[in-house]
Amino acid sequence: MSKKPTAGPALHKVIMVGSGGVGKSALTLQFMYDEFVEDYEPTKADSYRKKVVLDGEEVQIDILDTAGQEDYAAIRDNYFRSGEGFLCVFSITDDESFQATQEFREQILRVKNDESIPFLLVGNKCDLNDKRKVPLNECQLRAQQWSVPYVETSAKTRENVDKVFFDLMREIRSRKTEDSKATSGRAKDRCKKRRLKCTLL
Amino acid sequence: MTQSMKEFDDFNFSVDKYTKELTRECVGGSDLQQRKKEIEAYSEQTSATLKQTCKRNYMKFIETAKEITHLESEMYQLSHILIEQRNILASLTDGKTSSNLKAESVEADNATTEDLENSHATRAVKEMVQGFNGNLEGKTFLNEGALIELDPNDYRPIQRVFFFLFNDVLIVCKVKHDKRLEFLSEYDPKKIAVINIRDLDGVKNAISIITTDGSKMYQSITAAGKSEWIEKLNEAFRFDQLKKTKKGPAPQPPTRVKQQPKSETPPPSHSPAEPKSLEDETPEWVSTASEEIQTLIAQRHFEDAQALIKRTQDYLRLNNKLPSATIIERKVKEQELKLTNVLLKELSNSHNRNLQIALRAVKRPLKILVEMGRFRQASATLLKVCTVSLRVAQREARRNNAEISELFFCDLTQVACDFLNAFEEQPACVSALVVWCNAELQYFASQLIKHYLTKGTALEAVAKCVERVRKPSTKLTEIGLDISYHLEGLLRTTLESLIEESKQRLLDTVGRTEESWQPHNLHTKSNLKRMLLELDSLGIDVRAQTTGDTWINLTQSTVVFIRHFLQLTEHCACLAKCETLLQSLELLLRDLFVAQHALKPPSDMAVDPNFVMKNKIFLVDNLLPIAIEKFRHISGRQCDSLRELQTKLARQQGAPLPKQRSVYTTDVF
Repeated sequence: MSKKPTAGPALHKVIMVGSGGVGKSALTLQFMYDEFVEDYEPTKADSYRKKVVLDGEEVQIDILDTAGQEDYAAIRDNYFRSGEGFLCVFSITDDESFQATQEFREQILRVKNDESIPFLLVGNKCDLNDKRKVPLNECQLRAQQWSVPYVETSAKTRENVDKVFFDLMREIRSRKTEDSKATSGRAKDRCKKRRLKCTLL
Repeated sequence: MTQSMKEFDDFNFSVDKYTKELTRECVGGSDLQQRKKEIEAYSEQTSATLKQTCKRNYMKFIETAKEITHLESEMYQLSHILIEQRNILASLTDGKTSSNLKAESVEADNATTEDLENSHATRAVKEMVQGFNGNLEGKTFLNEGALIELDPNDYRPIQRVFFFLFNDVLIVCKVKHDKRLEFLSEYDPKKIAVINIRDLDGVKNAISIITTDGSKMYQSITAAGKSEWIEKLNEAFRFDQLKKTKKGPAPQPPTRVKQQPKSETPPPSHSPAEPKSLEDETPEWVSTASEEIQTLIAQRHFEDAQALIKRTQDYLRLNNKLPSATIIERKVKEQELKLTNVLLKELSNSHNRNLQIALRAVKRPLKILVEMGRFRQASATLLKVCTVSLRVAQREARRNNAEISELFFCDLTQVACDFLNAFEEQPACVSALVVWCNAELQYFASQLIKHYLTKGTALEAVAKCVERVRKPSTKLTEIGLDISYHLEGLLRTTLESLIEESKQRLLDTVGRTEESWQPHNLHTKSNLKRMLLELDSLGIDVRAQTTGDTWINLTQSTVVFIRHFLQLTEHCACLAKCETLLQSLELLLRDLFVAQHALKPPSDMAVDPNFVMKNKIFLVDNLLPIAIEKFRHISGRQCDSLRELQTKLARQQGAPLPKQRSVYTTDVF
């Protein structure tokens, strides 16, 4: 109890983004507690933390499940700033949610000011393939444009749920080791980034 | 008795007076003793009553506090209901009057209640908060309450804070020790982001607020308080939108009513908030179980908490069809884990320098943990506690020159008995006990070696020490714990080196003293008598060798050696109870004997060779058989090398000197 998490395992901060009703909370709860929640209750902003073993190493994952609803768009910046990796979720049965990912991607890039931030494009509800509205090749094309991985999941059947979280954590981790090994060039690079941000503000 | 005791209650009670009267009344010391006992009994009784009263009052206090919180929440609900009722009434009366007046009147009515709340809160902020000068006129009051600020790194409480939430400002104050509020900062609710922390290493009812100056973590005392805050902060965030919709016929209370069911049905982590359809199927006590358990744990009613956990789990097992079963089950499981942690902490905190007290203190948490099936954790923690007590007690005893072996084994037995009582059914735990015993034994042996079996310790002391360790260690076999063998193994190398060292020392002393090779003169009769008695007690009778009143017809060194050798045999035999040391002990005795037997007068000294021989013969014929018998008697083992030596030496002297023996028997001095 008295253990300080700072001295404990590494902490990876993941943020779930995407339109309302695509299944961000369902994915989170399935990952956290192995259960599928049927009833829909719009999320405002919930955070979860869990210890997991990532490639033999114990780490903590911090999941921030954000609101998809438009009315919260104004304060999303506040949440995004603390994120180290993003799962951008849409529903394959809802084209509008797929179009919205573009907006989320732009907002994240603007806040983080980093093109290579760990990021996964996630097509949820793949168990409802018969109701598919977004063609697979379109999804893959967008992922290619952004040069991020694309994974289809189902919070209901648990398909690929662990995969998306673990893949993202791996990216975050390799990103962090890269950063800590930062050569002077990279450090300078980051300085530039920060300065850029300052001027923006 | 009661009559005499009443005097204590008297307001003018004087110790001197009472003592004087008491001594006057009493006849003799025994009577006084009797009175003293009575008074002591009375004092004990009084303190017991006092304790009970204290406890009773404390329980009452807790009960009352609970009651008050209940009442408070009821009051809160009542006030809401009242406001609603008044609005309904108002709309009804308005319905009677013309319809175009209706809206105005509702607005007005609504405005009055709102104004009342607003002015009340505004006044409270102005009066209570030091250092806040902002203007609160025209703002709508939404919520207020105390929260605890947590450290975002280790979730420890930093300080108590108090929030005032208005439609466009959140005022954060610090609660000072004198309950006064100190203004810390204010935020625009439209620029802050609220995160509901649902799962964070057991931190309950926490929210995180991201503001322009960073993110902070706050904890509410109840789950309901937390969801209210999230709701209200959200309301403030969207206040302008709401205001627009409110411009219509719907006044404020209805919006509240509309929002309430919403706040009651967030997905999993909120317990009293089952979706409506389930409420009929899930009994009230099951759905509130996790909260109830939490309360019980906080109030330290661990038994009740455990019973409730069990009851809930049993219920859920039978009724696992309930849609909410998994959610409740998970929460109950969480609480169970928490209870376990609390109990383990309790357990590990109960160490005390006195083992008895420690063992008594662990009983309660231990019992519950065993009932909960947490055998492994409980047994490991218990043994850790015992280790501390045991080692402290040993250190203390050593400093006071008390008997540490007895203490150690008594304590070990005590722990083993208590442990077996608690965990008898658990073979894994019993083996943990065995491992623990061995570890403690190792520590004990290392202490023994370090403090009692140091280099240069006389064989006598070594023998005593080892004897004191062995005796109680064999007693432990009675409870099925055989540690003697292990203990011998731990001490073996040390003892062997000590024996070897003693041997060298003893061999060096042989022949050191100046020897005249004359019969030993003890000078007085009493000295002789004392010497004879002493040798008697060692099991050898030398009366046949006395001549005159003060003489023994053996050399002084022979007499001294007889005494010394027999003593040494005793000690060695003691040590030889364990087979591993037998060989080196035999060697010691034999070498010493051989050395003494081989003593020869210097060649330039004129001595009677027959007298020299007589001494040797006495050693072989009288001393040696007695020593062998003594060794066998004490250790229960044969001393083979001494027997070999006896036959060898007897043959040596038997053959060439048959006559001399007969000469001596007739010799007259």
